[in-house]
Amino acid sequence: MATNTCKEFLNHLELWMEGERHPDAQAHLGSCTSCRNLVEDLNNIHQQARSWNLEEMNLSPRVWEALRFQLEQEGLIRSNDPSQPESSTAGWFSRWFRILPRPVMAGAYLTVLIVAAFALMKPIDKQINEARWLNGTQVSTTPLHAQLNTEQKVVYSLPNTNPVVTASLQKNMAIVDNYISLCEKSVREEPQNEVARDYLYDAYQQKADLLAQMTERGENAQ
Amino acid sequence: MNAIDAMPEWMGKGNWKIASLLISGLLLCNIASAAIPPPRRLEQHFKVTAHPVITIHNPNGMVTVKAWTKSEVMIISTRASDDVEVEAEQMGNRVDVSTHATSDNVAPDDMRADYQINVPEDAELQIHDDAGEVNVANVLGDMNVETVAAGVDLEDAAGYLTVKTVDGPFQCLRCTGRIEASSISGNFRLWDLRSYHVRAQTSTGSLLFSGEFLPNGLYHLKTYSGVIEVRFSPGDSFDLSATSLKGRVNNQASLTPRTHAQHFYSRFGNSLFGTFNAGRAKVELSSFDGTINILKRE
Repeated sequence: MATNTCKEFLNHLELWMEGERHPDAQAHLGSCTSCRNLVEDLNNIHQQARSWNLEEMNLSPRVWEALRFQLEQEGLIRSNDPSQPESSTAGWFSRWFRILPRPVMAGAYLTVLIVAAFALMKPIDKQINEARWLNGTQVSTTPLHAQLNTEQKVVYSLPNTNPVVTASLQKNMAIVDNYISLCEKSVREEPQNEVARDYLYDAYQQKADLLAQMTERGENAQ
Repeated sequence: MNAIDAMPEWMGKGNWKIASLLISGLLLCNIASAAIPPPRRLEQHFKVTAHPVITIHNPNGMVTVKAWTKSEVMIISTRASDDVEVEAEQMGNRVDVSTHATSDNVAPDDMRADYQINVPEDAELQIHDDAGEVNVANVLGDMNVETVAAGVDLEDAAGYLTVKTVDGPFQCLRCTGRIEASSISGNFRLWDLRSYHVRAQTSTGSLLFSGEFLPNGLYHLKTYSGVIEVRFSPGDSFDLSATSLKGRVNNQASLTPRTHAQHFYSRFGNSLFGTFNAGRAKVELSSFDGTINILKRE
């Protein structure tokens, strides 16, 4: 199967991440920036997850400080004596670790992991969603676009009775075609933008209406 | 006996010559009258009952329709040339009017026919006029007007009004019915309106609305790049949503922000949402990259 569209590539994404390199998927990745970015993001997450395993507790002092403050606020741990400041992070952490009940520690660690995962997952979710929206829009408009263009060629070959009317119809067809291009550009830039999609579908509707009018006049002239 | 001898006595030799001339003249007249086309101006009358339907198909020309109090449809047509014919026929309570070419090769200007039509107030109209102009006044029945380049001008119309042009402008003056209008590059001017439902869309044309926002009324105005201008008075009461994806929204109305969640459109483009007075009518303005102006009525 030729993996030549984003939708088809997304179907192969899981296998790709497991290391299976289908030639069509590779070819698509070479030409599609959006899917390439998606794969890069997934690889980053993968690497990040591996580094967490390796440096299990080596989170930044700032994170631990925030966590400690939160736990103190909730009364789950006792605050340090300010008259005896700790000189190193590891020192206060080891004492703090000792006084913390184990379930609290596990819960806090899990919370930090979930927050970090969400922060990292947001861009990837966005890209997957955008790719889906874009793909959905393309699936619905590509055949329509081709069909209307074929129809347009036929209509333009029909005889016309009034050059003024024909000129008006063709001028307005150019306006509609221009709007289709502008709307498609907007949809590509913001695939989730419902307004741009509505305008795109609307522009196609206008084109279809216009072609119907031209066909009717052309057939009457024959 | 020759022919002259056989003539009656009252036809003397001189009288015979006069008779020959008269006969020749009459023959010539008959031949000439057969070649003269029917007059280009034609007046026709059709008796109708309540709610008649009048359909008009004209490729090019001015169509003027006015209401009168008679239960009758009067059609005065004027053809631009003998290459077109006007046909008007009655089928029950419907009168169909159309313009046809009489030959295959007719110049566009010769295809023109102008119509002046008088109809009962409650008449329903269906008008197709590609180029020229359509004017309708004081007709209260439903109306469907479709044109390409012809402008459409409706005055004091009511009923369900649907207007579709390609680049013809559309003006509706003091209309009170339900209005649905669409165009690609035609300008719309909806003036002194008292309609409870207005749906108007034009792509590059501008759209001007000045009228009352009636309680429970729906007003949906949309353009691609054309300017939308809505004029309101201090006594109006409406709930407004205005969105231009890539254009500006200028507002002179003091709106109260909505308390409930915003419509999803607010995530994109330049949007404005709010309630003016009690928010009894619903006004939706949207444009792709055109400017939206919400202005106080002078």
